[in-house]
Amino acid sequence: MKEIKISVENFSLFYGNKQALKNISMDIYANRITALIGPSGCGKSTFIRSINRMNDLIDSVRINGRIVIDGKNIYDKEIDVVNLRKKIGMVFQKSNLFPMTVYENIVFGVKINGLRDKKKLDEIVERSLNNAALFEEVKDRLHTPALSLSGGQQQRLCIARTLAIEPQIILMDEPASALDPISTAKIEELIHSLKQNYTVVIVTHNMQQAARVSDHTAFFYIGELVEYDKTSKMFTKPSIKQTEDYVTGRFG
Amino acid sequence: MTDPELELLPQTIIARGKERQAKYNFVKSVLLDIFFVFYSLVVVQRAIYYKFIINLRDIPFSWNSIFIILGISIIIGYAWTYSRTSLSAKLFCISKDNNVTKWTVEIFGWFLFNITFIAGWIVTRISIIDLFSSEGIRGAERIFSALFQPKMGIFDDALFAMIETIYIALLATLISIPLTLLLSFFTARNLMKENKVSFAVYYILRIILNFVRSIEPLIWAIIFSVWVGIGPFAGMIALLVHTIASNAKLYSEAIENIETGPVEAISATGANKIQVVWYAVVPQIILPFLSFTIYRWDINVRMATIIGLVGGGGIGTMLMQYQGLARWHEVGLLILMIAFVVWVMDYISARIREAIY
Repeated sequence: MKEIKISVENFSLFYGNKQALKNISMDIYANRITALIGPSGCGKSTFIRSINRMNDLIDSVRINGRIVIDGKNIYDKEIDVVNLRKKIGMVFQKSNLFPMTVYENIVFGVKINGLRDKKKLDEIVERSLNNAALFEEVKDRLHTPALSLSGGQQQRLCIARTLAIEPQIILMDEPASALDPISTAKIEELIHSLKQNYTVVIVTHNMQQAARVSDHTAFFYIGELVEYDKTSKMFTKPSIKQTEDYVTGRFG
Repeated sequence: MTDPELELLPQTIIARGKERQAKYNFVKSVLLDIFFVFYSLVVVQRAIYYKFIINLRDIPFSWNSIFIILGISIIIGYAWTYSRTSLSAKLFCISKDNNVTKWTVEIFGWFLFNITFIAGWIVTRISIIDLFSSEGIRGAERIFSALFQPKMGIFDDALFAMIETIYIALLATLISIPLTLLLSFFTARNLMKENKVSFAVYYILRIILNFVRSIEPLIWAIIFSVWVGIGPFAGMIALLVHTIASNAKLYSEAIENIETGPVEAISATGANKIQVVWYAVVPQIILPFLSFTIYRWDINVRMATIIGLVGGGGIGTMLMQYQGLARWHEVGLLILMIAFVVWVMDYISARIREAIY
């Protein structure tokens, strides 16, 4: 039986007068990988950023509807955004590492949550790097600047950094779009292994990638959720014509 | 965050917003048109009619005529906007017929530019005759030849005054740094917009800084030379006040223009507000801040020579004294020294800023 982790109910989002998301309703399942696909500007990034309230950082954003995580609407007034974001990790398109060493990048999030014990921090670094399939490559370079790593390594370090704060949900906004095929393959493998412990939501432009890594796929078009189903079904016999046109590459 | 208005259909909200926008634009357009018509009528009446056609030396002024013109321009301006063919109708995008407004923009735009230029010519009393009068040129020659034969007799005094000036500028810049830094975070829109209280603080601080900045350091020096007495201290405070106000603006703009990537990344790890500022904002703004500050030191050295003229100490005060005695050879030496120091400072600060980036 699939457990629902995130439940989106009639969610709309406006940038000023422009509506970016139109009445989205969907359930995202725990320990599954959910891919969001759709052409540029369709609202998939906006949607994923709504899940950890990253859109709060933007002026003039208004929302309507609910996003319920573990029985609580995250847009309720009493929700502490800082705590919410500790529970929901996010990996961005650009790697956005902090200008510090590899080690410090990983423990940053843990440290600002108050943990200072050197031994525990070492453990966390090793575990996170192992989980991000990076430990072997960087174990001798933990105290060199993170920005000296290669692009693929940087992105995996970002994932390790996210894992270090032990979130329940991991959001990925096109994590592999700037990487070469080998790094992409590594990231995909990693995403696949993450679903044992985490709920993963991933935005991707690359339909093969969505087909390869995800269990469920949602197709967005101009702010609307057109179709949402099991990935195997979405890519073989989608029930809506628009989805079929998109996944077969006829438009978008 | 949820807004009761959002229960409405989005189309209704958008339509309403557009209606409101059109209303605002109409009001703005009427006001601007009235101003345009008023301005043209006043300039035509006062500068062109009185000066050129009747050729009066002193133009009579009466509130009555101004009020009459204002009345006429309110009527014409309103009618003009109402017809949707005016210049401001075009500017605020509420014009009806683009072909007609294109003509009004071209013709009336030219008209405004020309009468402004003519009025400016009259107001500044440009006189070619004065510029080339032989007597005037001889006077200028006398001063110039003296300036280029500087007397070295006061070199020691001048050197000390110059050093004083540099120190005035240096200290004003140094003391300004911590104060500016603190202020700049409170005047950066992107950090302060979150709640109403902080936004009010932002707004009030911005107004105060704008006010302080709009008063020239020269005026501040006059105020402080009364407050703390004539001398380098007054000059230093005057520069300090102006430096804080100017740099806070530049600093806060640098904060407003930071990359959002690191801010998002740090926020996503669950950092609070202060941690976001410290780890995501500060590293991005250190270099621009340094660069602005060094440039400001350079500006302050130039300013410090000027504020000396009104009692701010340093070489400016000395320049004022010798100029008052019409001892142009000494003045020549002082000007040469100022030029040299400003040139050196300019060069050094440019090289440092280059090295920083």
